[in-house]
Amino acid sequence: MKVRNLLPDTVRKQTTEIDHPFYSLQREMNSLFDNFFRGFNVVPQGFAAGMGSFTPSVDVKENEKEVIIKAELPGVEEKDIDVTVTNDSVTIKGEKKEEKEDKEKNFYYMERSYGSFCRVIPLETEIETDKAQASFKNGILDIKIPKNQKAKEKGTKVSIKTS
Amino acid sequence: MSEKDLQKTENTAVTEKIRNVKIFVPHVDIYETRDALFLIADMPGVDDKSVDVEMEKNILTISGRVENGRVKDYSLVFSEYEVGDYERTFTLSNEIDREKIRATVKQGVLRLELPKAEKEKPKKIAINAA
Repeated sequence: MKVRNLLPDTVRKQTTEIDHPFYSLQREMNSLFDNFFRGFNVVPQGFAAGMGSFTPSVDVKENEKEVIIKAELPGVEEKDIDVTVTNDSVTIKGEKKEEKEDKEKNFYYMERSYGSFCRVIPLETEIETDKAQASFKNGILDIKIPKNQKAKEKGTKVSIKTS
Repeated sequence: MSEKDLQKTENTAVTEKIRNVKIFVPHVDIYETRDALFLIADMPGVDDKSVDVEMEKNILTISGRVENGRVKDYSLVFSEYEVGDYERTFTLSNEIDREKIRATVKQGVLRLELPKAEKEKPKKIAINAA
């Protein structure tokens, strides 16, 4: 994402296909790292704790009228999610809490991660912050925000007179 | 975005499928207490109707279908996850009391309680004073 933001608009638009090789490579690399750290099968501590903490995966989609942001937040309570919208970014904050009801646990697998998270999603277009809608169902957060139509019309066409 | 992002792992080992969707391996926690085995799986997008739990002999299969996850007619700005089904199979070593298996789904998390069969539970032997 960081590299992509540096690219000119035209290049960025071309890279928005799902099966673009760059995306799949990135995904592969990320899962490689994840699996590597998961392979140790230990509770992350100290430095490694950051590697194991929970970060939601986010998808951003748009059409001419609105922007849709979807985030995977399995096991997070609705009340623990905090969504803030500004003119050009959306912030998703929250905490995935670990259940602590059983004291005597012997773990065989520990792949899920817990902890607080915060993600700021920058948006290319201006949005109408007061018309943002968010819903949360089955562990998926769905945010819909209409684009600011006025901002789009900022450029005024100038007619050229022939002398 | 950084390397610590949780990505879904695609299950490539499953047999040919009919539905044209990807199948992912859900992340799970499995732990054992004295009386039962607990399995907790992160399956964002599934609800109680779309999850299946099957047990055949000592093979436990959990699967979940994600419907209507895709959004049409929108261009992708950026993508970190894909929409797809979930499936994972486990081989259990303990004898499980099948009648008492309980499964709940909440906020996209499947929680399975697999109580151990009576005979498998550790028994404390009382020592009689001579």
